[in-house]
Amino acid sequence: MFSQSFFSSFAFFALLFPLQGVAQDAIPRDATLPAKHAEIIEEYCLDCHDAFTEEAEVNLEDLNYNLAHDIQTAELWQKVLNVLNSGEMPPEKEKQIPDSAKASLLDDLSSNIVIARSILGDSGGVIPLRRLNRREYQNTLQDLIGVIPDVSNLPDDQAATEFDTMGGSLYFSSDQLESYLSTAKRALNLATKRNPSRPSRIIRLEPEDEWNKTYTQYHQEQLDVRAQAQQWMDNGKTEQAAIKAGFLDSYQARKLLRQYNEYAPQLAHYLKDPVHKTGVSLILANKKGYTRVRTPGIPFHEPGRYIIRVKAAHYPETPSRFHYIEYIHTNGSNTNRLGWKKVKGTFQDPEIVEFTTDYQPGGRRNFVLHQRSHQDRADKNIWVHDQRKNNIGTLPGVWIDWVELEGPLPETSTSFLIQLLKEYKRTPNKKQVEEILKAFAKRAFRGQEAQQPYINKLLARYETYRTQKQKHEIALNNTLAIILTSPKFLYLVEESSDHTGDKELLSDYELATRLSYFLTSSPPDDLLLAAAENGQLSEPKYLREHTERLLSSEKNQRFVESFSHQWLEMHRLDMFQFNGVHYPEFDNAIRENARKEIYAMMNHQLKEQRPLKELLKADYVIINDILADYYGIEGVKGSHFRKVSLPENSPRGGILGTAAFHVMGSDGDRSSPVERGVWVLRHLLNTPPPPAPPNVPQLSRLEGQRLTPQQLQQAHQEEPQCAQCHRKIDPIGYGLENFDATGTWRVQDAFYKRSKRGYGARDVAEHFPVKAQGELLDGTHFSSFFELRDIVASHSDAFAHKLVEGLVSYGLGRPYGFTDHDLAQEILTKARPHGYTVSECIHALVASEAFQSR
Amino acid sequence: MHSPFQRTRRAFLKSSTATIALPFLESFGHRAFAAAPKLAAPPKRLLYMGMGFGVTADKWFPERDQTGSDYEFPAILNPLEKHREDLTFIQNLMHKDSADGHSGSTFWLTGANRYAIPGQSFHNSVSVDQVAAEALGKETRFSSIQLGATGGANSNSDGHGPGLSLAWNRLGKPIAGLNTPVSAFHRLFSESNTSLEERQAMLNEQRSVLDTVMENAKSMQRKISTSDNEKLDEYLQSVREIEIRLAKEEAWLEVPKKKPNPAIKEPNKSLRGYKEMGIMVDLMVAAMQVDASRVFTYKMPVDTMISSLGATMSAHTMSHYSEGERRTVSEMRDLHNAKFLARFIDKMKATKEADGSNLFDHSTLTMGTNIFSVHTLRNCPTIVAGGGAGFKQGRSLVMNDEKTPLCNLWYSQLKGSGIHVDSFGDSTGVIEELFES
Repeated sequence: MFSQSFFSSFAFFALLFPLQGVAQDAIPRDATLPAKHAEIIEEYCLDCHDAFTEEAEVNLEDLNYNLAHDIQTAELWQKVLNVLNSGEMPPEKEKQIPDSAKASLLDDLSSNIVIARSILGDSGGVIPLRRLNRREYQNTLQDLIGVIPDVSNLPDDQAATEFDTMGGSLYFSSDQLESYLSTAKRALNLATKRNPSRPSRIIRLEPEDEWNKTYTQYHQEQLDVRAQAQQWMDNGKTEQAAIKAGFLDSYQARKLLRQYNEYAPQLAHYLKDPVHKTGVSLILANKKGYTRVRTPGIPFHEPGRYIIRVKAAHYPETPSRFHYIEYIHTNGSNTNRLGWKKVKGTFQDPEIVEFTTDYQPGGRRNFVLHQRSHQDRADKNIWVHDQRKNNIGTLPGVWIDWVELEGPLPETSTSFLIQLLKEYKRTPNKKQVEEILKAFAKRAFRGQEAQQPYINKLLARYETYRTQKQKHEIALNNTLAIILTSPKFLYLVEESSDHTGDKELLSDYELATRLSYFLTSSPPDDLLLAAAENGQLSEPKYLREHTERLLSSEKNQRFVESFSHQWLEMHRLDMFQFNGVHYPEFDNAIRENARKEIYAMMNHQLKEQRPLKELLKADYVIINDILADYYGIEGVKGSHFRKVSLPENSPRGGILGTAAFHVMGSDGDRSSPVERGVWVLRHLLNTPPPPAPPNVPQLSRLEGQRLTPQQLQQAHQEEPQCAQCHRKIDPIGYGLENFDATGTWRVQDAFYKRSKRGYGARDVAEHFPVKAQGELLDGTHFSSFFELRDIVASHSDAFAHKLVEGLVSYGLGRPYGFTDHDLAQEILTKARPHGYTVSECIHALVASEAFQSR
Repeated sequence: MHSPFQRTRRAFLKSSTATIALPFLESFGHRAFAAAPKLAAPPKRLLYMGMGFGVTADKWFPERDQTGSDYEFPAILNPLEKHREDLTFIQNLMHKDSADGHSGSTFWLTGANRYAIPGQSFHNSVSVDQVAAEALGKETRFSSIQLGATGGANSNSDGHGPGLSLAWNRLGKPIAGLNTPVSAFHRLFSESNTSLEERQAMLNEQRSVLDTVMENAKSMQRKISTSDNEKLDEYLQSVREIEIRLAKEEAWLEVPKKKPNPAIKEPNKSLRGYKEMGIMVDLMVAAMQVDASRVFTYKMPVDTMISSLGATMSAHTMSHYSEGERRTVSEMRDLHNAKFLARFIDKMKATKEADGSNLFDHSTLTMGTNIFSVHTLRNCPTIVAGGGAGFKQGRSLVMNDEKTPLCNLWYSQLKGSGIHVDSFGDSTGVIEELFES
């Protein structure tokens, strides 16, 4: 993937780069290599690579020390960097550059190459024409026609750049054009085909009807096998006896008997428990998987709000992790985990747990409830380990009496299309169809009128469909789908009066569109369009009002989630599978809620207008019951996220205390101090290290050795090629070693040896204490995680700069560039008195000339 | 967009056989789309398999001092050894301009310099398969086929880097791929149940839709800046590509999709990783057997591949192998990629052409990646197999120049396959050693 430091590495030299000064606003404007390196080049390179000898056609004598002079200059310096990194130059037999001078040259060269690339790649503030990305497309259709389209066959647009809003990287391929058309047709047909609204009703299911039958049958099969096996054993366990008893051979007999011994006790135990006469317990039965309690399905064409109710009780003797119901939706092999609810009710006094869902046609209709799950085979592996201890496997945590579905409750909102169609009779005449097409196109084009020749062609399409005997609804949908495949819909059009692309103020409609997609990832709503219509939107007072309105709207969550996810590179959260036997506490619920915690923190920042530095360190967390259990914080009830005060000396509070951060900084097994260090440098301190250089030799000498983090750190410092970056990265990472791969606090770490016990088990070979202490490159010492956190938190200016870079890139739809220096300063200056609240940064960006012009 | 010849041509096709119709079709301006032509000689084919992240560096390559035909076959690639006479390892090939340590495929078939264009932070150019497709794709239903892995379209965790498939079009923009065996199966082999008239009507309908969106694009073009118009060109290019495809579909309208023998079934949806790779081989071989296309690229899975073999780490973790489990997984990956290629060659050898030769005799397969190992971009791992380009196989070649352009290989393959171009990418000429007799 593209290292995002290519795109956002301007405020490069803030903190830990002593050579470059310290102020966070010292964005380098040129990429000139310090003159001191000229001596090294002269002494170690020019013998062969001067203008006269030009070995390998490389002449370094007249090389410009401004790396951004032109592309050729940058290319040549890149070559110099590459051969130094790979150890290719100077040649072995020649005089070698002393380590410290080499590290310093590599450091300056690699960072200046990044700056040079940015300068040379800078688009001069031009915002390229932007296609709706996949999220925006989906939201836009939902707002327009009231159906969430299935967009799985469109590219997700997140692969190429830091943000999926960057027009330059939003490509278009012919497959996509066809996908847009078919997606729109399908969504429109779902939107317009709905049953007349029926009164709300309640359907109740008793899950034991299904599961007792299943389990009884399964258990009977096991008993049959047991009887068969008895026959085999009575006849001397021979091959012949096996065949006579109905097995293929004695191998099969032994295998099935072993399975009986493993699985049957669980079901026997389950079936004789009287509580299963009237309900089910959520267990994992080997071969049958989870007890999947199905809810009644939502009728296909009856959109509206539905309530799912479950009457349940919990088993107090099992760990609280199992007292949750996980509710999911499955579609083929895709599983969407929708949430978790804790059951507090007891068998004496069961509780009614409620889930609410807004059903739109094309949405999810079937829900399944089961116990908390891990990825992959982990639950089964855990079950086996439990079975070996207690003979019946993992014990249930929740019992369910019944499940019911109530709905549809009346819809809360109607889409633009449905409202529009309501104004016409069932089969409108040609003139009315034209009106519908015009009105729909205008809304789809976000306020811009469609041209008459285009409308005429649409109308011709409609009439052709009608002559092909298509019903009016189908013909109209097929025509509307063309509008939703047209470039004025798929691209956010910003007109240029003279085609030159010179800076020009946006029209009010264009401004409404940019603002709306920025803060809600959705098209402008009625109020925004009205403000654009009467020319008010560009007035600062109204613009601020609308910005505030959007920031407090429900749809702002779309911004919070997509911005945070991309800005903080949270895709890493899903990159690794954790071994459930090593980390039984870290299951799907923790992973999902760890992600939501970050969103909830950002949301809290925005809505409560908290100073940005609280994201670096705070005396509170924003969590729910699941995370409270995970973090060991008491007294938090309910699955919603809320502010919870922390005791003094808690390692939680701020990003560095979140499970999400630490999981992202692991490889699914061990914590990764390098990943964590890089992440902190890049995302919090805004001093991203250069991208991992190609062709650096590995530290092969260390292969197979058992090294503590500190020993590894020393090894990283041996070669100047490694030291140039790792001396900045590693100390931070090791300062975070008190958190294991899943973000759990620890005071000791261990080496493991592979276990022979199977099913994912491992044995400790050796424990060693965590030493979260070190020295940053600028000489600052820290002796604990807490001190490191304080150091990071003291750099909130740098963090604010990083935020602004992200907002500029995301909001303007192009990489934060060299030319944005002044813009960033303008925003930071305005936001500083407010403690750099996210909302003030957004207001300042929206108020800027850059945001209001193209 | 309606061709004035449409009616005449259709009437003509009905009264005649497609085989004889060919010369007339050409005079009608359908030069490029000849339906089911009679094959004089078996056609040339080019296939590219991209491995994403690099290989286990110290085990994958033959020893550098053993060149020519007498070399020890790398033990880790053991399953391939039975085909050693029919394949060649080439070392010391590289793209001098690539610098992205996590992009094994983005520039692999193009050789472009990402930073070549001032004011842009990303640039790419046409890939070698697409140059080949312009020539080899004229006579087949599909000019080229791009395959990927389930979940691969949007995943950059396999070391492939940005791109929708291995292929990039003439504008240097990514070309979408078929990322599941099921979608590849349907594209290649399934026949719609509709009648000829209905299908013709559908083609006309698609053209009218394109005409309508083009009207919208025109009114937009007039209003936006020159640079935005360049961006809009991607949309217009997509419309043009569909138009070309529709014209091609029309030419092929009355030619039913050929059924491979043995028949191929709709693949199981749940296959992932190594099993999925096996199905892709079956699909490609079947597609070649019925001559549906002559150019294939396959962006091979890495993450799902190693996890299907039981690994619990990510492909990226594996790629930074060190002693112990990571190295084990890395070697297992290499072994299974070798098995995959060996089986591919087996199947191609077993599939006969009309003249008694087999598919493999006329094809050129390349399995490789832009990444050597970890972040190293030199000595790109490269295996070339097959008799299609007239290469002398069965050897381990180590180029004298450690920086021999990989594009020289691409250029050699084009030339060897009878495709006339003056150069490709940053090629400086053909690799003469490949053509030694």
